[in-house]
Amino acid sequence: MAFYFGLLQTIGIHTLLGLSAYILLLTGQLSLAQVGFFAIGAYVSGILTVIFEYHIVPGLFLGALVGGLFAFLVGFPALRVKGLMLVVATIAFSEIVRLFFFNLNWRVSVNGVEVGPDSTQGFREIRFYAANGWDTLDVVLFVWLFVVIVMALLWWLDRVRVGATLRAVGADELAAQSSGVNIVAVKVSAMTGGGIIAGLAGGLYAHSATYVDHLTFSVLLATFAVAYPILGGLSSVFGTLIAVIFVQGVLIEGMRFLGDWRNILFGLLIIIAMNVRPAGLIDGKVVLRIREALGTGKKSGGEGHAETR
Amino acid sequence: MIDFIQTTLDGLSIGSAYALIALGFTLVFGVMRRINLSYGPSIMLGAFAGTWAFVTLEAQPWLVAVVTIAGTVAVGMYVERLCFWAIRKDAAIASMVSSFVIWMQLEEVATILLPGRTYPYPELFKFGGIDIGPYFLRMEHVTTLAVAMFMLVVLRLLLYRTRFGLALRAVSESSEAAVYMGISPVRITFWAFVFASFIGGVAGYLLLAADQQVTPYFGLWATFKGLIAMMLGGLGSIPGAIVGGLLLGVIEAHTQWYLGNAVKDLTAYLVLFLVLVLRPGGLLGQGIVERHAQAFRRI
Repeated sequence: MAFYFGLLQTIGIHTLLGLSAYILLLTGQLSLAQVGFFAIGAYVSGILTVIFEYHIVPGLFLGALVGGLFAFLVGFPALRVKGLMLVVATIAFSEIVRLFFFNLNWRVSVNGVEVGPDSTQGFREIRFYAANGWDTLDVVLFVWLFVVIVMALLWWLDRVRVGATLRAVGADELAAQSSGVNIVAVKVSAMTGGGIIAGLAGGLYAHSATYVDHLTFSVLLATFAVAYPILGGLSSVFGTLIAVIFVQGVLIEGMRFLGDWRNILFGLLIIIAMNVRPAGLIDGKVVLRIREALGTGKKSGGEGHAETR
Repeated sequence: MIDFIQTTLDGLSIGSAYALIALGFTLVFGVMRRINLSYGPSIMLGAFAGTWAFVTLEAQPWLVAVVTIAGTVAVGMYVERLCFWAIRKDAAIASMVSSFVIWMQLEEVATILLPGRTYPYPELFKFGGIDIGPYFLRMEHVTTLAVAMFMLVVLRLLLYRTRFGLALRAVSESSEAAVYMGISPVRITFWAFVFASFIGGVAGYLLLAADQQVTPYFGLWATFKGLIAMMLGGLGSIPGAIVGGLLLGVIEAHTQWYLGNAVKDLTAYLVLFLVLVLRPGGLLGQGIVERHAQAFRRI
């Protein structure tokens, strides 16, 4: 059972990370900086609960806020670059963050035990859950509470004007601008929102894993973060969730028995998925069909452009 | 002062290898407007084939070079067919994600092929280097520099003096228009990929012969160095790739010498971030940004 609880935590955290990239992808920004905000959230909330002995809720909240603040600051220079250059600039940002934490050494004695980030050794003993007697089921529910809140929020945003504005910028910046959309505000808010979600995911990750080090926050994780929404499709927030379950549950855990050959098959299956469904597993057509089946077929303009991706 | 010039010389020689990798990236990006994240890993797998020949067959250094380059080209063809040819033209992001998962595949193949972490790689020359006044140049570095210059000339001739180069530039300008001229973009793309892989194989061989060892991490490392160098110099510009590579080498050598190893990578990324933000398109790539703004808005 503990294994499935662990898997559920991983799926929840990765879903949050994927959703943080999803918001940005809606506005047409392919950002690999999410892992940087994730790392900031992980370290900040870890430091708050371990060194300053905060409760986890304010710890997570502040971690997410600092992640969002950095995203806001990165959002402005990121406006100047697009496409591939944005990808590389955000890789550079993530690597700067990673190398900063690689060199960060802040050892403090709390209750007679030395704790805190220890540069190359990583940040060990983030034991809020264990110290406060939470069992794994509590942790799973806690993580999924945030997943549900964020997904509901994003799902709702897609139903109101904000979602249409985000998608308009993603579909055609020039057209959106001529319709009176403030591109700068939309892009920077999307970046900030993504940073907050990624920071939250990072805080949850640090406390679930109890141990973080710089290697966790590599470009591998950054690419996973954008791969989920791309694989799942940008037509619905549920696409990201399904992609995470597909990748983490089926491809990574389900094929563990294959041993060394797993990664080879893993790559092949994703490539087949991308070949068969370049617009993602849950593309506009699927969403439309589901809505028709449920009798809520709303002919909004949201789906049209998703198929062109 | 002697230290300064010596460090610059070292930086230039490693930078010329970066420049070669950046050239490979530029060639592929120029034709397809897509990014191939598994470029570095395909070089790594080629190098593993080379070191396999060295360890098990005790091959001569020149044979190791041939195996490395041939291996890289073979892997490059595999990547092109699976990630770029097979995926629809308008799904550039899907190609990038695919090339990323191929990278995981290639690393796995490398570790299955040779399960250890580090393997020896034959050095090119037995004699150490040459002295010029107070300066010392390692022989490998001289070779790298010379080969990089040679490849630049070859690439230049290929692009501007042959029918293939003309076709390649036509596809790069507009693949729809190229089709009407009877050029097959699929074929041109394939051969550009093969040529880029060839350049990558040469660069990989030179770098690893200087290091005398190869690890699975080389793939990621090479992708990053190539990307940074290409971005610093200018997107899709051949002189830009050379300038970016050399600049990256010099910056790294100097920060390592004066500020220490921990700051080396940090500085490289910081410079990259600043260049991209202050001068999008890189140092020499300003014109191309305007021209292709439409083309790569999507990826």
